[in-house]
Amino acid sequence: MLFFRKYRVKKKHQSSFRIENNDFSKKIISSLLLENIAEIQNLFSETPDLVVKNFVIKQTNSPAALVYLSGLTDTKTINNHILSPLLFEADKEKKDFEVQVSVGDVKEKNTWQEIESAILQGNSVLFIDKENKASIFDTQGWPQRGIEDTTIESSLRGEHLGFTETGSTNIALIRRHIQNRELKMKEITVGVRGNLKLTIMYLADVANPEVLKELVNRINKLDVDSILNAASLAEYIEDNPYSPFPQLFLTERPDFAAAEILQGRIVTIVDRSPNVLIGPATFETFFKSMDDYGARWLVASFIRLMRYFGFIAAIFLPATYIAVIAFHFEIIPLKLLLSIGASRERVPFPPFIEAIVMEITLEMLREAGIRLPAKIGQTVGIVGGIVIGQAAVEAGIVSNIMVIVVALTAIASFIIPNYDMGAAIRMLRFPMMFAASLFGFIGLAVGLMTLIAHFIALESLGTPYGSPIAPLRFPDWKDLFIRFPEWSIVKRPESTRAIQRLKAKSNRSEGDEH
Amino acid sequence: MKYTQNQITFMQYIFLIHGVQVGVGLLTLPRELAEKAGTDGWMALIIGWLFSTLASLIIIQVMKNYPNGTIIDLVTHYFGKWVGKISAFIFALYFAFLGSIVFIREGLFIQFWVLPQTSLFILLFLLSIPSYLIVRNNITILGRYAELMFFITTWMIFFYFTPLKEAHWLHLLPLIKEGWEPILTAAKTTIFSFLGFEIAFFLYPFLQEKQKASIGIVIANSLTLAVFLIVIIVAFTFYSPDEITQYKEPTINLLKIVEFKFLERLEIVFLSLYIFVISTTVLPLFFATVFSASQLFGKQDHGKYVVWLLLLNLVFVFFIPQSFERNRQFQNVGEHFSLILVYAFPLCLWVYLWVYSRMKRGLLK
Repeated sequence: MLFFRKYRVKKKHQSSFRIENNDFSKKIISSLLLENIAEIQNLFSETPDLVVKNFVIKQTNSPAALVYLSGLTDTKTINNHILSPLLFEADKEKKDFEVQVSVGDVKEKNTWQEIESAILQGNSVLFIDKENKASIFDTQGWPQRGIEDTTIESSLRGEHLGFTETGSTNIALIRRHIQNRELKMKEITVGVRGNLKLTIMYLADVANPEVLKELVNRINKLDVDSILNAASLAEYIEDNPYSPFPQLFLTERPDFAAAEILQGRIVTIVDRSPNVLIGPATFETFFKSMDDYGARWLVASFIRLMRYFGFIAAIFLPATYIAVIAFHFEIIPLKLLLSIGASRERVPFPPFIEAIVMEITLEMLREAGIRLPAKIGQTVGIVGGIVIGQAAVEAGIVSNIMVIVVALTAIASFIIPNYDMGAAIRMLRFPMMFAASLFGFIGLAVGLMTLIAHFIALESLGTPYGSPIAPLRFPDWKDLFIRFPEWSIVKRPESTRAIQRLKAKSNRSEGDEH
Repeated sequence: MKYTQNQITFMQYIFLIHGVQVGVGLLTLPRELAEKAGTDGWMALIIGWLFSTLASLIIIQVMKNYPNGTIIDLVTHYFGKWVGKISAFIFALYFAFLGSIVFIREGLFIQFWVLPQTSLFILLFLLSIPSYLIVRNNITILGRYAELMFFITTWMIFFYFTPLKEAHWLHLLPLIKEGWEPILTAAKTTIFSFLGFEIAFFLYPFLQEKQKASIGIVIANSLTLAVFLIVIIVAFTFYSPDEITQYKEPTINLLKIVEFKFLERLEIVFLSLYIFVISTTVLPLFFATVFSASQLFGKQDHGKYVVWLLLLNLVFVFFIPQSFERNRQFQNVGEHFSLILVYAFPLCLWVYLWVYSRMKRGLLK
């Protein structure tokens, strides 16, 4: 059937097809400067942004060349901290042959492969005559934007810093929340052409090592040209690629990522992507928002219950309406039936067609609204509002009740705080509507059963996705439908498989003592 | 040790057994009891519970002799490979038979109450899709399913408190109107209503806390008794003793009087949801079938057998017209099997194993 459980390795081509894999990888640089420069120009042919600066080091009086890509480097650093000391400072007391520059991160390498990738990453490389190794200076500085407020996952009380496209900044944003040396990181580079740096962050004494191993294994199996963002990485490594549900959590909020690390989950920071990947995710994670912890627990619980209600309504409301109108109108009390009948009097279509037309229109409007510039977007809203709200009803194409149902469904689906989950739910209601139009309530029940069958077998990084609902884990229900007061939640959820369960002591005395 | 990978929790164990017990039988149970024992039927229910609890405890005692295997492994261990194969065959046949009867009856009920114009074949095909998706997985998933379904459907019992407003408790009196004989006759019916605990033969090795197996099976039986008792007593007090026998499925008819401001004919909604309850009967039975079949053929993966089993059901329904009477006849045949397999077989096995261990100990001395 559709849902294959086994995780598949995406290995379609051998890497030799894509990159010419000659003996170059192990070739060592020569000790003659001219030969090295020739080799560099050979490697980077047709690369006008490559800068090769020839000069003589004043300190040792030996000819040298500095090589870097002009767009990816910070010119100020190169000028002030590399070129200027090398050109003008002479330290006679230094006997050993070691170049003195004022850059912190200096590495010495001698294979061409390392030098090539260093240049491509925005480092600058210094070749010195009669030296058989090159110095690599960290001078990275590429175009980037500053830290801004989160756009998709906006919040009232949460942090107003969002992740940016620079991995190191994102790491810093998370580290500010967790100042603990158990916060460990693993770096993996992925992509033959992209050289994407992934940083896996976790608390070593909390996160489950098996889950970590599973994640690292899956990432290591990747053999692709490049991965452009966190969402596509998620698609490569998730457990069941045929599932409608997202199995790894994408977030642009550092506070959320930090909170999940503290719960025992593992965060993968994808360089060049403003989202990070959190796993293992469970179904209920997608119904949480940072604001749940910023509001008082009673309010937060109410909002959360509304979200779950919205989830059910978004999937089943139009389908139920179709089933009732097409099959089981006898279950509606007479008065209500009459008013529905009056509204449907002029409608020539069966309810399924009616519903599909409206739902598709709504989805198109939503999609058009996202990608249009704000000024045109307003026009779409007005056109859509008039078409959906009035004209269609007045023309007798759809009934008033249908408009209400569709509008309710749309609102219900937008209440889900996570975009991926919201999109999944919007998709799921179409098969449900189809089943309901064919078999009424039985179709709905079978649809729900199929959904549950899929849901209970789904896993995220080898951890049950349905936890704590299926398998049932009542201790974790403290943070499920009702968010209990924070001081009462002293254990990490079982679904993270954390090796250290206790996260707090109950730091509140019972009763109303002062 | 080979079943340590997929385990079920204590709760899943209870709800799996309870789920298998409560199913299609409940829909007709009030009528069947009223026909035989009048309004004393509820006493028969308690007798049935006693018997089934006893039998369940014997099953657990038997299974304790070989805690890391199913009944098939146990038989293979004590009687050799071929007897094991035969037992696997018998169990596969038994569970397939039982499961298919319930599966087809489920379709018949849906057809009769909700979708009279849809063919049984199509309905069963529809039901086969989720069934396949669940049964092809391991027992852990099935346990999760049973657990989740219990909590999703258990609130439906509250519908039955509405008819109580018009209950006539006098219908239950006097107790033991016509002596014990009708009650004992009815007890024969109730013994069959409690069938399903024999799934413990296959659940036991997967249970995490094996020392709780006996308590768990008693809880499951009692839970079933509670559900049955509520429905039966509501039916007996709401309908007059004669009226109740006129309805085919009094359990559903009872709901006809429940009305809300926004919802009438509750029985249609109820029956659509009742599919979930029936599925917790069918799916573990199907699982036991394919599990036995895979042991019979010595295969690890049982996914293929699920397809075959479901296909067999569909073919059967396609070529042979089905009716409640035919289904009933099949069930009567199955019930005789059950008596042997669920009551006589474990008892004999238990006595044998007891004597066997005694003799072994005697020899060692």
